[in-house]
Amino acid sequence: MTDLFRRSIAELVGTFILVFFGPGAAAITLMIANGASKPNEFNIGIGALGGLGDWLAIGLAFAFAITAAIYAVGKISGCHINPAVTIALWATKRFPTNEVLPYILAQLVGAALGSFAFAAAAGMDAVTIGGLGATAPFPGIGYGQAMLAEAIGTFLLMFVIMGIAVDSRAPQQFAGLIIGLTVGGIIITIGNISGSSLNPARTFGPYLGDMLLGGINLWNFFPIYVIGPIVGAVLAAFLYDYLARER
Amino acid sequence: MKCYLCKEQGKDTEAVAICIVCGMGVCMEHLVREETELWEGGYPFPARKLKKTIPRIVCVICHEAMEG
Repeated sequence: MTDLFRRSIAELVGTFILVFFGPGAAAITLMIANGASKPNEFNIGIGALGGLGDWLAIGLAFAFAITAAIYAVGKISGCHINPAVTIALWATKRFPTNEVLPYILAQLVGAALGSFAFAAAAGMDAVTIGGLGATAPFPGIGYGQAMLAEAIGTFLLMFVIMGIAVDSRAPQQFAGLIIGLTVGGIIITIGNISGSSLNPARTFGPYLGDMLLGGINLWNFFPIYVIGPIVGAVLAAFLYDYLARER
Repeated sequence: MKCYLCKEQGKDTEAVAICIVCGMGVCMEHLVREETELWEGGYPFPARKLKKTIPRIVCVICHEAMEG
């Protein structure tokens, strides 16, 4: 097995890929839709171009990025690229305690670098108009509702990870594709509710980038994207273990 | 079983192994025995190399082909 330092670098790179391409797609959608007429308050720009098709496009960008990251670094670090996944694997005694913090730090750094790199590539409109693809509850959605959506969304993500990757009875080699598509599907449904982060690191990167580059400050929403995903992922891991055990 | 390659050369040598690729019976002179690394794990866990390897026997012809 590769040493912890190199595995952490692999996590960093994987999370960089996720945040550059995933939230990047959301930011680009807002930039393209800038100035377009919005049919209602629930539509902040994502949806102004093609309705739910906008979310499908963003979801597929996430799906392809996650699939690429899993097949690229999955065998090196495990490619969690998500603190909620790391914590859920640790909670079910599948991941060593002393490696949790290095993994999460690497994920946060990778996410931040992904957001800064996207701002550098796309320009300041990506910050001021696209918000670097940061997540926040949509108009009319309360704090608790967004947290519930994040918890349910991450529950499904972790439940699928358990079924397709952790369970030794799962078919081999399909995990990257299935998990990528699962995230894409979740985003299509709850994207316009909570932003569909499912991942504290995915929200941390754009939040930090927005704060330091003069964009909107959304940190008051950050607990939604920490508590919701972690609760959902841990519940899914324990429930799967309960359902899948032989006796 | 006789060694196929020896037989082609007009010799009559007992085969001691079968090539895992082409199924040819081969003698000690016409086989290559290699150790194949074994890995376990992978997403969402780092893959780890197992201490033990798997021996693999191929004939010299298949070995040359696989080596490129």
